[in-house]
Amino acid sequence: MTPFVRTSDLFKTYQKGTVPIPVLRGVSLEMEKGQYVSIVGRSGSGKSTLLNLLGGLDTATSGHIVVGDSEVTSMSRSELAVHRRSTVGMIFQSFNLIPSRTALENITLALAFGSHPRSDRRRRATELLTSVGLEHRLRHTPGELSGGEAQRVAIARALSNDPDVLLADEPTGNLDSRTAKEIVELLVALNRERGLTVVMVSHDEEAAREVSHRVFRLLDGRVVDELSGRSGA
Amino acid sequence: MTPPDLWRLSLENLWRTKLRSVLTTLGVVIGIGALVSMVSFGVGLQENVTKQFRENDLFTSMQVMPVDVDVAEIMSGNIEPPVTATALTDSALDVIRTLPQVEIAFPEIRFPVTVRAFGSEATTSLQAVPAAMGSYKPFSEIEYGGFYKSDSDSVVVITERFLAELGYRLEEAEAVDTRDGESSDDELVAVSVDSIIGREIEVASSTLDLESAARSFMRSFAPPSRIPLKEEVVRLKVVGVRSTESGFGGARYRGGIVVPIDIGIAMPRLGFSDVWDLLDDSGEAEGYASVYVRTKDMEDVTPVREAVEEMGFGVLAMVDELEEIKQGFLIMDGILGAVGTIALVVAALGIINTMVTSILERTREIGVMKALGGSETDIKWIFFSEAATIGFFGGAFGLALAWVVTRVANVVANHFLRPQGVPEVDLFYMPIWLIAGAMAFAVAVSLLAGLYPASRAARVDPVQALRHD
Repeated sequence: MTPFVRTSDLFKTYQKGTVPIPVLRGVSLEMEKGQYVSIVGRSGSGKSTLLNLLGGLDTATSGHIVVGDSEVTSMSRSELAVHRRSTVGMIFQSFNLIPSRTALENITLALAFGSHPRSDRRRRATELLTSVGLEHRLRHTPGELSGGEAQRVAIARALSNDPDVLLADEPTGNLDSRTAKEIVELLVALNRERGLTVVMVSHDEEAAREVSHRVFRLLDGRVVDELSGRSGA
Repeated sequence: MTPPDLWRLSLENLWRTKLRSVLTTLGVVIGIGALVSMVSFGVGLQENVTKQFRENDLFTSMQVMPVDVDVAEIMSGNIEPPVTATALTDSALDVIRTLPQVEIAFPEIRFPVTVRAFGSEATTSLQAVPAAMGSYKPFSEIEYGGFYKSDSDSVVVITERFLAELGYRLEEAEAVDTRDGESSDDELVAVSVDSIIGREIEVASSTLDLESAARSFMRSFAPPSRIPLKEEVVRLKVVGVRSTESGFGGARYRGGIVVPIDIGIAMPRLGFSDVWDLLDDSGEAEGYASVYVRTKDMEDVTPVREAVEEMGFGVLAMVDELEEIKQGFLIMDGILGAVGTIALVVAALGIINTMVTSILERTREIGVMKALGGSETDIKWIFFSEAATIGFFGGAFGLALAWVVTRVANVVANHFLRPQGVPEVDLFYMPIWLIAGAMAFAVAVSLLAGLYPASRAARVDPVQALRHD
């Protein structure tokens, strides 16, 4: 089967003054469409950087990333914006909702960037929030929502433009264990029911192995291991 | 993002920081208010002056003279007797009248007369004007009675000022202007218009009495001790009373009485009616001293002037000064506008400050928008539209402020000018181009002010921004 997401010999080096700080040192991995993939590793291992590169938020120093038919590493800045709005959807540990806007408005903003017809945005946003069980929280601002609810809004927002890949950067990092379980269950359901490719960064290796088809372990910017995932993967 | 999205988003974003947005907009309001008030004063002044000129036909009228007049020479005091090139005769006048752009042309006849009327006597200047001039100002606006319809009727139109010189005032009229220390209202006898209109007055003009001079010379073989003058009297019926003239054009018809042209020509008078006659040493008595020519439009003045000059006459036309006047006003408007713009520049700095602060506060939000697929252009336009919104509201309220300021200033100015006899005048003028221009300028300056903040926002690194607290 042709891999849907592929990185080869991916390097990312940050510059701190004159000192180069290598974060990724030749990451090569492949994921198939519809897989639930987790990237685990210690803090500073380069997990989030890899996710940012896959999402087109950051650019690689060298190497290649291919998502679907597109070579992300050769995209211009405006092409990367299109990649972010149509191919991938991202969720973060700290939710990153716009605090002044309601749950509904956070989603309609994403729909506006995706050039969704203006007249249909409200309906679509309501539909998305309902699908994550938040039909009663449409007009609440992030400050009025619990952590779990805020992350559900973020998931609904990430899905607003029908992405092929959902990139989740420690989505349960700020949640209690019960809520964290609920969020992971929601992601698994999305993967299973919609066939959505999910790439999740996590520091909890055991939990990741329970839900993922494949688990890559990163250490000092290199993939050092591929762990076996859930049965049937 | 569509323009309506941007507009809505910018309104929402500005609303989030109401006080700051209002204060920043207030800067633009004051800037535009000052700019528009000042320019509208300049434009108003220009409008008032040109309106006066136009209303008094100064741009469509010209004076034709039998000589090539150099006004600058005369102003410098060098009054060389001009050499008469061509006599301004009736046949020349007929040629001028046949020019297609000429509406009316008639010789300017004005001479001093003594008027005896209503048991009183006063000296004034008589002016002969054709009945056709009744269609134009000031004769189209005769306050009491009317203007004559025929060039040969023995009638006269008098002014209120001249009536005052005779010792009367009209009951119907408002207080007579007494600025120049003439007879005050209290000393004048009030009479009704009906008792004046239709009454006959005696108009006496003087002419040289050559017969008596010759007789006296034959008797004493000596030159007469004073110029022998003979008085000729005509009786004319009053048909209209004009109120006292004000404005530039009034001077042309400031004569105390106006009579039909044929009556004026027929009246015996001294051999000169104009200063040029005294300076003319050619001894030629033939022709008029000057002819008044009125064209159909302002644009007609130049071709008529050229045709008339070709005939060998000199032309004095106020329209020549128009371009110079316009240029002068343009400079004044520029200076007033520049002063007003200073306030707007300060307002622009306020916009930059507000927007840079806003970017620092919203760095994380910018990162989120980029993560959601917002391009650099989208982000740039979001901040641009916020700046434009500040400019739009600043411009609109600035125009409202300017309107209020100019109305108040107008009322105050007229309050002080009225007691000095200055008629009610609109000192400020806000034409459409000024309103539209001010709005466009407000938005343009705001966009310019938003240029740096917007490009700075667009360059925000999303990874860094998402980590920003």
